[in-house]
Amino acid sequence: MSENKYSATSGIQQEEPLLFEHAHEAPESINLPGVKGEVSSDLAAFKRKTPANIPGLSEPETVRHFVRLSQWNHGIETGFYPLGSCTMKYNPRVNEQIARLPGLAHVHPDQPEDSVQGMLGLLSELQGWLAEIAGFSDVTLQPAAGAHGELAGLMMIRKCLDARGEQNRKKVLVPDSAHGTNPASAALCGMYTVELKSGADGRIDLDELKKHLDDDVAALMMTNPNTAGTFETDIKEICQLVHDAGGLVYGDGANLNALVGVARPGDMGLDCLHINVHKTFSTPHGGGGPGAGPVAVNDTLKPFLPVPRIVENDGVFSIETEDEQSIGTILSTLGQSGVYMRANAYISAFGHNHIHQIAQDAVLNANYVLSKLKSVYHVPFEGLCKHECLLTDEWQNKHGVKTLDIAKRLIDLGFHPMTVYFPLIVHGAMLIEPTETESKETLDSFCDAMLEIAAQCEAGDTQALHDAPLKPIRRRLDETQAARKPVLVWEG
Amino acid sequence: MRYLPHTNTDRQAMLHDIGVNNIADLFADIPSEFHIELGSMNLPEGLSETGIVRKFTKAAEKNRHAGNTRCFLGGGTYHHFVPAVVDYVISRGEFLTAYTPYQPEIAQGTLQALFEYQTMIARLTGMEVSNASMYEAATATAEAALMARRVTRKTRTVIAGSVNPRYRTVTENYLSRLEGDFVEVGMGKFGTDLSKVIAEIDNKTACVIVQYPDFYGSVYDLAPLREACDAHKCLMVVAFSDVSAFGLIESPGAYGADIVVGSGQALGIPMAYGGPHLGVFTCKKKYLRQMPGRVCGLTTDADGKRGFVLTLSTREQHIRREKATSNICTNQGLMCTAAATYMTLMGDAGLATIAEHSAAALDLLVSKLPSHVVAASGAHYNETVLTFESGDKRDAFIAEARKQDIFAGIPLEKFEKNIEPKHLLVATTEMIEEDDVNELIAAMEVAA
Amino acid sequence: MSVPTDLKFTKEHEWVRIEGDTATFGISDHAQEALGDIVFVELPEVGRSIDAGEAYGVVESVKAVSDTYAPVAGEVIEINEALESEADLVNSDPYGVGWIIKVKISDNNAETELMNPEEYTEFLDE
Ligand SMILES: Cc1ncc(COP(=O)(O)O)c(C=O)c1O
Repeated sequence: MSENKYSATSGIQQEEPLLFEHAHEAPESINLPGVKGEVSSDLAAFKRKTPANIPGLSEPETVRHFVRLSQWNHGIETGFYPLGSCTMKYNPRVNEQIARLPGLAHVHPDQPEDSVQGMLGLLSELQGWLAEIAGFSDVTLQPAAGAHGELAGLMMIRKCLDARGEQNRKKVLVPDSAHGTNPASAALCGMYTVELKSGADGRIDLDELKKHLDDDVAALMMTNPNTAGTFETDIKEICQLVHDAGGLVYGDGANLNALVGVARPGDMGLDCLHINVHKTFSTPHGGGGPGAGPVAVNDTLKPFLPVPRIVENDGVFSIETEDEQSIGTILSTLGQSGVYMRANAYISAFGHNHIHQIAQDAVLNANYVLSKLKSVYHVPFEGLCKHECLLTDEWQNKHGVKTLDIAKRLIDLGFHPMTVYFPLIVHGAMLIEPTETESKETLDSFCDAMLEIAAQCEAGDTQALHDAPLKPIRRRLDETQAARKPVLVWEG
Repeated sequence: MRYLPHTNTDRQAMLHDIGVNNIADLFADIPSEFHIELGSMNLPEGLSETGIVRKFTKAAEKNRHAGNTRCFLGGGTYHHFVPAVVDYVISRGEFLTAYTPYQPEIAQGTLQALFEYQTMIARLTGMEVSNASMYEAATATAEAALMARRVTRKTRTVIAGSVNPRYRTVTENYLSRLEGDFVEVGMGKFGTDLSKVIAEIDNKTACVIVQYPDFYGSVYDLAPLREACDAHKCLMVVAFSDVSAFGLIESPGAYGADIVVGSGQALGIPMAYGGPHLGVFTCKKKYLRQMPGRVCGLTTDADGKRGFVLTLSTREQHIRREKATSNICTNQGLMCTAAATYMTLMGDAGLATIAEHSAAALDLLVSKLPSHVVAASGAHYNETVLTFESGDKRDAFIAEARKQDIFAGIPLEKFEKNIEPKHLLVATTEMIEEDDVNELIAAMEVAA
Repeated sequence: MSVPTDLKFTKEHEWVRIEGDTATFGISDHAQEALGDIVFVELPEVGRSIDAGEAYGVVESVKAVSDTYAPVAGEVIEINEALESEADLVNSDPYGVGWIIKVKISDNNAETELMNPEEYTEFLDE
């Protein structure tokens, strides 16, 4: 069995019911701290008539329940996770340790400024570093994730255009390769989107862009490297064209990992850029979040940054809450501080002397994977890739095999699949992002698995691909059933 | 660099296989004018692991925190008990270092935990369905207002002045680029006057947003609001700041709320200077298709075994793009796992005890107030407004308390401009002991 | 699948059956096939008046969404309530029990380009 070459085996996997199905009554009351007393009669009048029906398990049962669930998951600590556009890199453990220091974890956001100087210092330092790395003049830490950063950036663009007396500009140009959050954020900002058809090389087509540049254009939203993993070599001209037409350029920085320490988006003409710190700066993604989406801006947009903001005066930090030109507030607090502690620690570990190795090794790894796979998988856009490479299932289709089958087969071999069916500009997309924290050994093993799958297709030996995955605790799940009759809470 | 596995030999071999001479060749597609000199960035030198620990320990020592003070601060963030087990569970790499569960077969752990979270948070808030989180309470409130516009196809939003000012500001900001009125109803007191809110509802109103317990901690009967909403076919949106309240008091769902939003931070999530917290979003099932954010649903696998998937994705940005119900993608997933673990540890009994202790501490505090300090009247959960004779008196008290390592409360003008600076928002939780209350009162007397 | 001869089609893959002043709308076999397993159909309210070419509803599969466009103008007089619990009827019988809505055709109906089944088949082949 060729499987022995790969890490996946089927060891003991424990079934575990829903916690609601554990049969016994809730344990006796637990010993909790605090003031034990009757609640006031005023409040007692509002008591719940029926309990919420939250069953409760004892502490040992709770631990076992969630540990068993955890074992059904694949994380970056478990194995390779080449999810394109998501930058699944190793999340250093020391970052978890420092984020849990009581002086950082148990600080209230409304403590007096003099009692949080250490925290404000770390946040302010990170703000400066992000501006430096991205090549902009300032940064807001308020956005809670990339999409929230898009909203913040577009709000600043809106405010800037309004200040120029150009309220009528409402058109946002979005390449058809863009992430779905781009058009969704534009709509939330009260603007409408026009999709730019990508050129034959997957990049922005200058003629197509020119066609749509007029007095209505508010902004172009672009991702560079784009979601096909290639660099927009015309970036300077693109920005120039949009600026000449009176619009601004929004940068989706989800792919910043390709550039860290090597080149700076701010130098290329963009007006702002959101940074997904849960991608580029290694903060753990937690099975869906939290992340953070700070936005870096140039001088054009700086006056419109959200409040509150941290300001420094002679080494003393304070928080500014008002500013005439600001777009205002988009979150209850300064931002996801706990996430930023980890990002600060990541950059601290690299420093000026190593920071460029992030992009260098990330790009090296992606090109290495591409070079190994390009003879057996269709590469829609020829040439160098940046931090991720795009393949399609075109050559496997003729053997009745689709991207989904390849992805599921990878699971049986012990790998998390790549991003599938994104970007939308190619049919059957497979977007592979290995990141800088993977070894050559891991990459070789993954490429072997991919080559083996391709060979199985050629040999017509495809049953294992259609049946996959067989090894995880569950096989392919019926998404149609889930959507037709949605069951979102347990009714037992 | 310890996070990078390659040796230079590896790198050379890989470059050779790719067919280029050096790393720079891999960046040849970036115009040379944009290449920066390697090592030239204005950053300090890279630190060892020990160096990192030292740096952060030093910074952390400059902060005061809830562990070495007594914290009476609230206003949306509360110092509740964080069980060791919660932190352990969310530290497990399989939960911590996974992405969004796009491949459900190898993400059943995250998915089942989400399903359990959705079930428990729906029950606690008294609602039928929940999503798998929003960023936090303010953006959840804004998303509720947006959803009400979609459901009702109306554009007027009415919000009570007793909703946390930060939720109001963020909601107004989200709505300000779209058509439609945003009406804030002033309360004229530290509490909620529903009759004033109801008077503002008309047939163009998409939703009414109130907070319960309100920003000032006051608890009141929501029933009249349901009637008024029915009369004008608008949605009843209830926000909250401290979800622990619903271990004790009637849930918003019991009053017939259509959408309930707020902060789940109390469920085992540290304050962390403002985040990551948990934005709760629950609603009636009939509005499901207009709900923002991800949801986890039950299904079966190819062998007929029960399993879970992210579902109803056609509402979301990756499919609906500009017509999506929200632009949210990354949410606060890990915080749902934390909250699920916390609720499992507590059960109904533990949640009730936490809420009782939180409320009892406030009662004790109010019962001991010296005559020169007045608490807002009426039923309160774990938060209230204290009014002093003057701003100076209040500030003298805050300073005296600080000397005793007590954060006495948040000056109300920090939230509400144009208010006389003599009010203090104070909050209690089960982390406050009787002695802490006594010391706070003693500081009041010393500063009087 | 055999196509009933009394149907007319649009380029948006809608069909319409006109009987007197009533018209029944649905989506074509080709459209349901392209969408895959249909999980949800959003229906308009009875009484709503819609223009020819206007989006009156939505058909959703797990990973795709498609607006449905009215072949002729009219006022909605009936919706297929069965689709609320069994959206898959659109897959299994798009020209029969999988119909979507019925409208009372309005008087000032501008002529829209409708294809007969043969023309529609040719259109699909293009
Ligand atoms: C290209 C791109 N843009 C934007 C986003 C949205 O970022 P977030 O998920 O942090 O909101 C993502 C992440 O999924 C992305 O890959």
